[in-house]
Amino acid sequence: MENILIAENITKEFTGHRALDDVSIEVPRGKVYGLLGPNGAGKTTLIRIINHITAPDSGRVIFNGHELTAADTAHIGYLPEERGLYKKMKVGEQALFFARLKGLSRQEATVRLKEWFERLEISDWWDKKVEELSKGMAQKVQFIVTVLHRPQLLIFDEPFSGFDPINAGVLKREILKLRDEGSTVIFSTHNMSSVEELCENITLINRSHNILSGPVARIREEFSDNAWELAYVGSPEALQTAAEGAGANITLTGIDPMGNAMATLRMPSPKDVRNVLGAVNGAVDIRSFTPHIASMDDIFVRAVEMSNQQQQ
Amino acid sequence: MSSVNLIIAREYLERVKRKSFIITTILMPLLMLLLMAAPTLIMLFSSPEERRIAVIDDSGVIAPQLRSTEELSFVVADQPLPLLREDESFAGILVIESGIVGEKAPSAVLYTHGASSIMTEQLIAQQISDAIENQRIKAYEIDNLRQILNEIEADVTLSTVRIDKSEDAETSSLVSYVMGLIMDMLLYMFILIYGQMVMTSIIEEKSNRVLEIVVSSVNPTALMVGKIVGIGLVAITQIVIWGVLLAVASAWALPALGSAVTAVNDPELAGVMSQLGDPAWLASLFGWLVLFFIGGYLFYSAIWAAIGSSVDNIQDASQLSSIATVPVIIGIVCSMSVVQDPDSTMAMWVSMIPFTSPMTMMSRLPFGIPLWQILTSLGILYLSFMGLIWLAAKIYRVGIFMYGKKPTLADLIRWARYK
Repeated sequence: MENILIAENITKEFTGHRALDDVSIEVPRGKVYGLLGPNGAGKTTLIRIINHITAPDSGRVIFNGHELTAADTAHIGYLPEERGLYKKMKVGEQALFFARLKGLSRQEATVRLKEWFERLEISDWWDKKVEELSKGMAQKVQFIVTVLHRPQLLIFDEPFSGFDPINAGVLKREILKLRDEGSTVIFSTHNMSSVEELCENITLINRSHNILSGPVARIREEFSDNAWELAYVGSPEALQTAAEGAGANITLTGIDPMGNAMATLRMPSPKDVRNVLGAVNGAVDIRSFTPHIASMDDIFVRAVEMSNQQQQ
Repeated sequence: MSSVNLIIAREYLERVKRKSFIITTILMPLLMLLLMAAPTLIMLFSSPEERRIAVIDDSGVIAPQLRSTEELSFVVADQPLPLLREDESFAGILVIESGIVGEKAPSAVLYTHGASSIMTEQLIAQQISDAIENQRIKAYEIDNLRQILNEIEADVTLSTVRIDKSEDAETSSLVSYVMGLIMDMLLYMFILIYGQMVMTSIIEEKSNRVLEIVVSSVNPTALMVGKIVGIGLVAITQIVIWGVLLAVASAWALPALGSAVTAVNDPELAGVMSQLGDPAWLASLFGWLVLFFIGGYLFYSAIWAAIGSSVDNIQDASQLSSIATVPVIIGIVCSMSVVQDPDSTMAMWVSMIPFTSPMTMMSRLPFGIPLWQILTSLGILYLSFMGLIWLAAKIYRVGIFMYGKKPTLADLIRWARYK
């Protein structure tokens, strides 16, 4: 089975407001999948539907080849963006409660919890009350609770918020480890550099619509528009004439730290690279010539603006 | 263990293990006992203090008949009033005018240092009245007039016998009245305290966002029902503990009281004792109390659960909360008049409507009402709480994800219609 989760034509309406409009996604098994979008786009609603917390008005969710049921939540682990714990309860007792809600026996849960508490170096918190913990500490407990029952599908909504870089790094490693052990991860965040780092595939949701879906590598290439970065020494005018003569679109972008002049060249198609490079080579001294890969930040902004314009 | 059971267990244990629960459960009955025993205790400890009253008797016939008691001692004054007023060794100065025996409405004046007590005033007035009566009886110069008067006096005791029951049972309306009031107050208190506990606890979960984590493993309806049942069990635990304490206390105290009552030989008091000492009667009342509590609690806590799910904080809840609080208060107000006349048509109706039935039924039950009425009322109550819980669950699963806007009743109704 290729895809662990397929959402088909999901629509969900609240009073006078359509939170999701005909949204479909396909999440491949064993990969990290990014679910992106501006605030209020409908991500959380989609995640809640995947978690069987709310039901869609129309459309369906296929999990492991069958339509999603309440029983499937035992194979899903969800770390919500806004998350808390029972303040008056002790950490260990509380973690046990959540683990047993996911169907683990008391003994099994205790063994696994002790293991995880040791792994994240929080063993001595077991008998502390949650209200004594800092926000970051509580987040660690929540992370453990999310992954403890070894779910096939993990959903993390802004998992790194509230963490210092060291602990964020620890968490990132643990997430990748879980993926390597066979779990699929859906990862929702506004932090685009962590998307570049972790995700193989993404879906970008804007104003209740899926506006962009696919493998990160392909999307970044597509958004590059056959652009190349050029560092050179020589006359900008000569460069401009040569490049435009070969059919490329050129933008002068300034000086790099080494003192070389910079320019971005956009080719009409990938096969023009050779031609343009030849023409440019005759006009200036090339220091470097590298393909421009669009950053996820850039793609996010461009895709959202484009879809907003289309809708207006 | 299923997830609902886990929720119930958590809600229950979290509260029962709390110090405040243990303390109130044990201290409340003690406090009640103390409150009831207070007057006796105060009398016991405050009596030895003797107060001296100076008597200026111009009639000359009253003073010799005043008898000193443990609390008061009368001293015939040998000084005029202005001098006595300076004398702080007397707690009071009693002035009796010369013509008091002949007056139509006899009166005397008591000057006191500091406040006097009703007890003292009544005691003195009674003694003066007795003395005047004696003087007047003497004035008629008829032999044995006092004895004749005693023989004429009639003191009637009315005992009521219910003839609509299988066997004629002597009942005391007084006991039923008091029991009715106590039971509906108890029910009122429990429904209000524990029903609102459901609301605050849901608001708490919502505002600290632990709810988001819980609902990823349990469906919202199970969470809501688990919470209501868990908290309800806490209440029942408390009721049962109090019931047992009460049973133990009365098993120990009633025989002693009973023998004291037989010694006094007052038929009315004996009736009270026999009714109170009837364990079957008490047990059936207690059984109904638990059944009506379960119904009333579930009915109201469903409303409070729906309200709790829809707001972000306690402050926002107060307005909506009155949807439930007002009927509960109406219920207790109605039952105040129901105990006056438990068989009236009004009493019958308010004890059928589920909003008021738990409280008003409780105040009617001790009087003994037809079983079909109790069962119908209970049936209506149980059916309506099921309907309400179903409705509350529909509101709840939408409400818990609504933040920011303060909802209105219209919002709640609209949410209930969502798929």
